[in-house]
Amino acid sequence: MSGGHFLWGGKPITFETGESIAVAVAKAGVRDLSAGEGGLRRYFCGIGACQNCLVTIEGTLVEACLTPARDGLRVDAPEAGHD
Amino acid sequence: MTERQPLRCDVLVIGGGAAGVAAAAELALAGLSVELAEQRDALGGAYHRQPAGRPTAVHARGRRQWSRLVDAFARAGIAPRLRHVFLGLDSDGLAMLDDRAEGRVLVVRPRALVIAVGAIERVLPRPGWQLPGVMTAGGLQMILKEGGSPPPGDILIAGNGPLTIALAADLARLGHPPVALIEAGDPFARPAAALRLAAYPGLVAEAAGHLARVFASPTPWLRGERLTAIEPRNGRLAATIRDRRGATRTLAADLIALHDGIRPNDFGLPANEESDIVVVRAGDCREALGIRAAIADGRHAARQVIALLTQGPSIADDDAVLRQRRAQAVLGDLFRPIDGADPLAALPDETILCRCEGRTFSELRAMLAEGELSPREIRLNGRFGMGLCQGRFCADNVLHLIAAARPGDPAEPPMRLARDRWPARPVSIAALAADDDEQRES
Amino acid sequence: MDGRGGKSVVVVGAGIVGAASAYFLAQSGFRVRLIEAKAPAAAASGAADGAVSVASKRPGPMMTTALAGIALYRQLDEEGLFAGLFKQRPTVMVAEDESEVESLTGHADALAGEGMALRRIEGEALRRYLPDVSSGVRLAIEVGNEGHAIGYEIVRRLIAASGVAVERDTTVHGLVESASGRSVAAVATSRGRVEADHFVIAAGGGSADLIGLSGIVRPRKGQLAVTERSPTLNAALPGALMSCRYLLSKDAIAGAAGTAARRFGLVVDPLRTGQFLIGGTREETADTGNDLAAIRHMLASAVRLLPPLARLRVIRVFSGVRSATRDGLPIIGRMPGRDNLVVATGFEGDGICLGPLVGQAVGRIVAGVPSELDLRPFAPDRFGQRSLVA
Ligand SMILES: Cc1cc2nc3c(=O)[nH]c(=O)nc-3n(C[C@H](O)[C@H](O)[C@H](O)COP(=O)(O)OP(=O)(O)OC[C@H]3O[C@@H](n4cnc5c(N)ncnc54)[C@H](O)[C@@H]3O)c2cc1C
Ligand SMILES: Cc1cc2nc3c(=O)[nH]c(=O)nc-3n(C[C@H](O)[C@H](O)[C@H](O)COP(=O)(O)OP(=O)(O)OC[C@H]3O[C@@H](n4cnc5c(N)ncnc54)[C@H](O)[C@@H]3O)c2cc1C
Ligand code: FES
Repeated sequence: MSGGHFLWGGKPITFETGESIAVAVAKAGVRDLSAGEGGLRRYFCGIGACQNCLVTIEGTLVEACLTPARDGLRVDAPEAGHD
Repeated sequence: MTERQPLRCDVLVIGGGAAGVAAAAELALAGLSVELAEQRDALGGAYHRQPAGRPTAVHARGRRQWSRLVDAFARAGIAPRLRHVFLGLDSDGLAMLDDRAEGRVLVVRPRALVIAVGAIERVLPRPGWQLPGVMTAGGLQMILKEGGSPPPGDILIAGNGPLTIALAADLARLGHPPVALIEAGDPFARPAAALRLAAYPGLVAEAAGHLARVFASPTPWLRGERLTAIEPRNGRLAATIRDRRGATRTLAADLIALHDGIRPNDFGLPANEESDIVVVRAGDCREALGIRAAIADGRHAARQVIALLTQGPSIADDDAVLRQRRAQAVLGDLFRPIDGADPLAALPDETILCRCEGRTFSELRAMLAEGELSPREIRLNGRFGMGLCQGRFCADNVLHLIAAARPGDPAEPPMRLARDRWPARPVSIAALAADDDEQRES
Repeated sequence: MDGRGGKSVVVVGAGIVGAASAYFLAQSGFRVRLIEAKAPAAAASGAADGAVSVASKRPGPMMTTALAGIALYRQLDEEGLFAGLFKQRPTVMVAEDESEVESLTGHADALAGEGMALRRIEGEALRRYLPDVSSGVRLAIEVGNEGHAIGYEIVRRLIAASGVAVERDTTVHGLVESASGRSVAAVATSRGRVEADHFVIAAGGGSADLIGLSGIVRPRKGQLAVTERSPTLNAALPGALMSCRYLLSKDAIAGAAGTAARRFGLVVDPLRTGQFLIGGTREETADTGNDLAAIRHMLASAVRLLPPLARLRVIRVFSGVRSATRDGLPIIGRMPGRDNLVVATGFEGDGICLGPLVGQAVGRIVAGVPSELDLRPFAPDRFGQRSLVA
């Protein structure tokens, strides 16, 4: 299976084709997707329903669980206080 | 106006799970022009979503059935619109699809709409259920199916119902059995229901397969027990487990998967009588009856649409669907929690009720003490159901608490708390505004 | 409690006007029954933007009244009644092209003539003041001392403070005349007759039918959108951003109602929560749907004015129906020929701003105390219909 790397908060994360950003990040052991302590960003439902897994890609908010990972993507935590 | 013209078709099917794919194939076979929108980048839905080449827990018969369905769908010549999130129907009868790849909203004017967006899981609130590392069983299953392997760390599964067993079996098969499987019910203590289940050999065989795998693994299946609280401890999660005698103990894990049943994902969806468009719901988003019913229900919805569009005779209920409804009722009895007390009644005040806005039980209790506020006022002033999930993970619980606080009142359907307006999901302003002629003077 | 302790009042409608009336009446010792067809804030007051503002007004009775309305918000905020609910912020009106600059300048002169606190901001200072707005914006006029309040929150606070229990799900079908024919004896409701010494009709769009003003008050729908939170962008906006095209839109309506089915105004209001409220339309209809074309156009205009909005997501759209009168002024006062009947309706897009003030005025009218406000321009008999109550 092919795949690649994207950057999560500047840190490279490996993924395989077919994985969403959320799945790749979870497999890398990252659980808290918030920008700071006590934020509410995290993976929960996996189907776009809970909206807890929001991340920013090129400034736009998207659900990590619905967004396919792509090579070279820069993915970051949303600004604190978004939730 | 330089707006693009809406795309026209006979039927727009929303959801590329079993129900949506079955409906679309059947409709196309009947000669109707069909579009299908699916929010993910692949068809399959909650059950059949693993990418090709990944190991799968779905039994061989299920896989064959799905591949036949996908073949029929492909033969019908439907090119599914993937990564298109359905936002709803506007007041002019236009269906809006958030095209995530293009960053714009595609507008469709269908004659009929089949909505097959599946179920969402019920998760009972518990102290700490908002912590990182706590997810739904479906969320964890998504990682397994899509990623082929579990995330690192010890996993604890807790909740109610047969789907948690399937998840534990999947984890065991992947060489990563959970530290424990906590089940509020105890099927062994419900012999009458167990006997009635014998009428559904397919379900029994599937369940037996999953159970056999769990029993062969080191995972204890702790029945009649509840996970009552989660706390962060030393970088891990400490879960409080209460057994049927009321004794508690603590289990440590890195990830906790919760699941207390499923319910239709019918939030923010247009009502059938709202417009001139025929709107039919299919599969788990009509009634959460599982994969066996979903395919039959998708086909049934297709026949219903055809009847409605041609003013033909109305369509009788589908036998397979009725059968699965009875089967689900038996499963409900079989897994009925041992502790019959209302699990929401005794939760500590600071427990989070609304995950989106961080609203707690005490905030709702204070509002309820104020008098006869309607669900709408509780939503607006208490902000329950006002967050980004639009009530999907709080509306049932809030309404349950309202009903409990007001015995004698007729129960309010959950939609009185959530909304039935578009957008059914948050949508980027850039995408929504993309096709407006900005230069036009108003 | 004073000497009015024994007198009873029925207030019909638990929108902001009815809630405020009930509050002030209860404060001055009346026994109040608040009768509501559905639930508090079920109509316009629960589906409004909540600008507490005069920025878009022309000198005249509405401006004078709105200024008093804002002053009361500030007072009730300081006294604690509205604590936490009233966001004080300026309104920032912006102009893009030459003709807009010209009309905004004229408008600012008129506001200044009324003694209002204004700041004219241009050039470099404008870019510092509004770092995120489009470079097309050439002039900003900051109108100070204004604010924002959410209608349903104010309604809830007023009702709680009044101590009055709202009689929900109770529709008033009509008024019952007294034997003399000069006053009202009772209201006929879906749960039976309710008698009282005084009656206040504050039923918003439901008022006209009760008092025979059907041809004079018309529904005017508005659509709005709410975004998710964006603390940084929200904090960088000093106040509500109002395109001065909004002025032109309002003008057009006052001039010739019904010439077009709908008009767009543009206000981007940074809410207390970190969200943005974006509005709105004015449509000559009572239907309450939301159509993509309108929302899309509003959002596109908002993005043109404040480009970083493009990054945010819309989480809700909604619509509400304003009650607009033929001459654009509300109807406040005693009904001619009915000694104990007071009406307060027809607030179009200003009822959130005016509601508390009008409730206070209604309380005074019922009590027979002279009002500090000049209510003559709003007199119910100005439409020349002699027998308003059938
Ligand atoms: C955790 C879990 C475990 C399960 N395990 C079993 C099991 O072991 N055995 C069994 O029989 N059944 C199981 N089920 C149930 C089974 O998955 C469902 O009954 C079946 O998938 C229902 O099919 P469906 O087509 O109705 O819905 P789904 O399969 O859920 O398909 C819905 C589709 O709609 C898409 N969608 C949702 N919202 C939008 C939108 N706004 N726009 C566009 N697309 C959208 C989704 O991405 C999805 O692809 C399980 C369900 C869950 C949640
Ligand atoms: C889209 C929109 C944006 C707006 N923006 C602003 C703004 O920025 N600033 C501002 O100041 N104002 C704004 N407004 C205007 C403001 O919302 C209204 O003027 C104000 O809410 C009117 O209050 P009300 O109490 O008169 O009427 P309503 O709020 O309509 O209340 C009337 C109540 O009476 C009840 N009722 C009706 N008939 C009967 C009956 N027969 N029996 C019993 N009860 C009955 C109704 O159920 C309702 O609860 C806006 C309005 C809209 C629609
Ligand atoms: S995890 Fe729930 S929306 Fe992504």
